[in-house]
Amino acid sequence: MSVIQCQNVTRSYGKLKAIDNLSFAIEENKLTGLIGRNGAGKTTLLKLLAGYLKPTSGEIEVFSQKPFNNLEGSSKTMFVNDTMTFPDSFTLIDILSEVAPFYANWNSNLAKGLLDYFSINPKQPHSKLSKGSKSTFNSILGIASRCPLTIFDEPTSGMDSAVRKDFYKALLKDYLEYPRSIILSSHLINEVEGILEDILLLNQGVKSLHLPVLELKKFAIGLRGNAQVIQRFVEGKELIYQEEFAKGYLYVVLRSELIQPELKLVRQSGLDVLSISTDDLCIYLTAKSRGGIDYVFKRS
Amino acid sequence: MILNTDSTKPIYIQIAEWLEVEILNGNFKEDERVYSQYQLADMFTINPATAAKGLNLLAEEHIVYKRRGLGMFVSPNAKQAILTKRRKQILEQMIKELVIEAKRLDVDEAELIEMIKNVRKEGEEEQL
Repeated sequence: MSVIQCQNVTRSYGKLKAIDNLSFAIEENKLTGLIGRNGAGKTTLLKLLAGYLKPTSGEIEVFSQKPFNNLEGSSKTMFVNDTMTFPDSFTLIDILSEVAPFYANWNSNLAKGLLDYFSINPKQPHSKLSKGSKSTFNSILGIASRCPLTIFDEPTSGMDSAVRKDFYKALLKDYLEYPRSIILSSHLINEVEGILEDILLLNQGVKSLHLPVLELKKFAIGLRGNAQVIQRFVEGKELIYQEEFAKGYLYVVLRSELIQPELKLVRQSGLDVLSISTDDLCIYLTAKSRGGIDYVFKRS
Repeated sequence: MILNTDSTKPIYIQIAEWLEVEILNGNFKEDERVYSQYQLADMFTINPATAAKGLNLLAEEHIVYKRRGLGMFVSPNAKQAILTKRRKQILEQMIKELVIEAKRLDVDEAELIEMIKNVRKEGEEEQL
């Protein structure tokens, strides 16, 4: 069953299309990573899903309903981001008890246990928290709400690396115990790759790919070696990335299926065949120009 | 064990290899139940689908077998199967690389064999 269905969704800010004709579906109880560079449209997409924004055109359905201005939807959806604000007169413990009745599956013991574990004093107001502690507290809300759809927008920004690791562990442990649909946005794919099932990669408001992480590993292949030999194999094929790393030597990345049948021949011709890490693949797929940063320096 | 997420070796293969070592070391006996996908997910902080793929890989190679509703169990001839597979895949690959590197460095066959013998001897001395 699909929890989320997006059909040709566009969201514009003036002339800029932050989300551009996007279509995808997310199945129930999957842990999906929304990956993209700064300004790729991640937060806009998440706000559309959480019902904070209305699409300019296209259809969004979350639990088979339009999420915008939808109270039922919002009781099933938790959206954690760094702009969450709470009344200043509330201490953290007040917030926890006020939030509780709104979410059917709220786990109060888990919230308190995590607050205690991360050594956050529950008697202080939300606005007095440091950036990292704020992220941690908001993420605790996200986990403890156990919402059928839980959305984290860059949840770890400001957290130190020990807290990040613990947060991902806590999230995964609670997900194993209580499966639900989770979307986690990040520009640091290395950090989240392990716990994800699917990856949705956004590039300038457009879907680059939406695949299980396990398939992403096999999606592309790199060839490295003599430029002329490489040209012979890749001529007429679409390249994801290419770089001349030394005079007469090329490094190219292309979809595995394009080169798979010739792989044995490629190896025999003395070319190196390299597998591509998920992180690198996402960088290549979302690069603004195909030559990487070197290209800028060559021109200037 | 810590998983190497930077490695180009997929995590599910790292999980399968780790389980193989556990079986080789005798931490799981024949017909004993191995970890479930959820236990593995929890232990290594990985998605349960990834853990399941690691287990399925071992099932395909008949190193473990599935009992419906009960989980995965170590096959009676698992140890032998792992040894045969590793000798074939890993050792042969390493030797291939060794031979190529030796050629590049102008080390001839006799010299290479002598070097291997020396390393083996050192290893034995260290064990004494």
